[in-house]
Amino acid sequence: MMAKVKKYSFKRYRKYIIPVLVLLAVAEGAGLACGASLARLQEGLFKGVAFFGYMFPPDWSAFSEMLQPAFQSIIIAFLGTVFGTLLSVVFAMLAASNLSNSWVRNITRFLIGLERSVPEIVILLLLIAAFGLGAMPGIIALALGCVGMLGKLLADVIEEIDYKMIESMESVGANKMQVIVFGVLPQIIPNLISYALFRFEINIRLSVILGAVGAGGIGYELDYSFGMLQYHRAFTAMLVIIVMIFGTEHLSNILREKIKVGGALK
Amino acid sequence: MSTVSFILPSKKYKQRVTIFSISALVVFVACWYMDFNPIGFFTEFHFVRDLLGEMFMPNYHVLADDASTAFSIVQTLSMAFLGTLYGGIIAIILAFLAASNTMPYQFIRGLAQFSLSMFRVVPILVVILIFVIAVGPGAFAGVLTLVIITIGTFGKLFAEIIENVENAPGEAIFSVGASRMQVIRYAVIPQILPSLIANLLYAFDVNMRAAIGLGIFGGGGIGFQLQMAKSVLHYKDVTALISIIIVLVIVVEKISDYLRRKILGDEKLK
Repeated sequence: MMAKVKKYSFKRYRKYIIPVLVLLAVAEGAGLACGASLARLQEGLFKGVAFFGYMFPPDWSAFSEMLQPAFQSIIIAFLGTVFGTLLSVVFAMLAASNLSNSWVRNITRFLIGLERSVPEIVILLLLIAAFGLGAMPGIIALALGCVGMLGKLLADVIEEIDYKMIESMESVGANKMQVIVFGVLPQIIPNLISYALFRFEINIRLSVILGAVGAGGIGYELDYSFGMLQYHRAFTAMLVIIVMIFGTEHLSNILREKIKVGGALK
Repeated sequence: MSTVSFILPSKKYKQRVTIFSISALVVFVACWYMDFNPIGFFTEFHFVRDLLGEMFMPNYHVLADDASTAFSIVQTLSMAFLGTLYGGIIAIILAFLAASNTMPYQFIRGLAQFSLSMFRVVPILVVILIFVIAVGPGAFAGVLTLVIITIGTFGKLFAEIIENVENAPGEAIFSVGASRMQVIRYAVIPQILPSLIANLLYAFDVNMRAAIGLGIFGGGGIGFQLQMAKSVLHYKDVTALISIIIVLVIVVEKISDYLRRKILGDEKLK
């Protein structure tokens, strides 16, 4: 009996019990702040299941109306990625310690960090306030959203390139532009493409969300169908979005594999 | 001049020019299709300038005058915490069921893998819209959405972490008669715990940003405050809220980075 008490003593399990209790206490407080409760969850789950009943079956007649918005969403994500990548390359070069001086570098790194901490949707809200609804603020928001992630990643890539090549180019009289085009870019292109593809996947998901806020495309169709209580139509939109996300993910995986094997279009 | 290179361009050069011009053409056609003029951003920059003029200076009185702003910050943090906690727990359970070295039955494993991939592909926008209808707008809908997001993003990763553990310790205690549960408890969990905790800290960081976005669709928290301030055109409040968001995100990121570095050690963190 004595041994059993010792075996399950508080001392032995102290390092597990205390963190768990702290986590539970914080969770309880957080639950209060969010109005989370099991009763609400239960009620919500029943409602949610019933709601799925309303959505089923999908309205296939709306399918043809969904194709154009879906295509628009893909184009928005595509253009956002292209312009965002170009912008990121500029930022990355300014932020790389081997291409720019420390002043410019610190300011650019600060800007990149600042951008990363602003969610894309906030940028979009501001751009919509400035330019009005439409694809243009959506594309610009996605392009700016790339800078935070791609800018930092590419700056790190540029800082790790082989510097001998650049030194030898400079010694035979190449100017800054020539060094960048013939010395830096060829070395970063494999990484550039694979990061851009990764960002494209993220942008596809984002373009759906941004669409609902006012950038148009399939996200708008989905939000509109929900708002108009046309749940069968919303289900169709949802299926189209799932296919879209799945398709781009596969495509970008295939392309990335190709780049890895083929050494980036060399 | 180097006329020779123009008469006999190398194959590689030709290929590059072709790829470049095709991509430029595709981008041009896409811009034309969407009626998007990249230069328009600069020629019509006065819109942005006008907006910036209205946004400054930030009105920090929103913090002092109205308790709801301060509460919304707490709410956003709570949303991220609860989403990470419950999403993490479910993701870990599903990951154990989906990993080949902890789940011997192929049927259950396939089922768990399938549900993990379903959580991954389901669009976030659909999830939040459904939860807003199911439990009503507010932070709770946001929490439930974050749970789904966390399972989708980290479930598969956790399963991979579990599959990548070293087999030798497990086999050693299995051979002296440990049960399957005991193998998991004494051989698998000690190996995966540091990277699980590090990933959950990262998940908190990710969920924090996602929580702000969800607020705009009725998920509560500071995102909702931002949306309200923007829709009543109080741009000075918007600026204040955005600066609060930036500080919040940076602070959370730094803390999560610091803790992760402590748990994993410097070299493991890319």
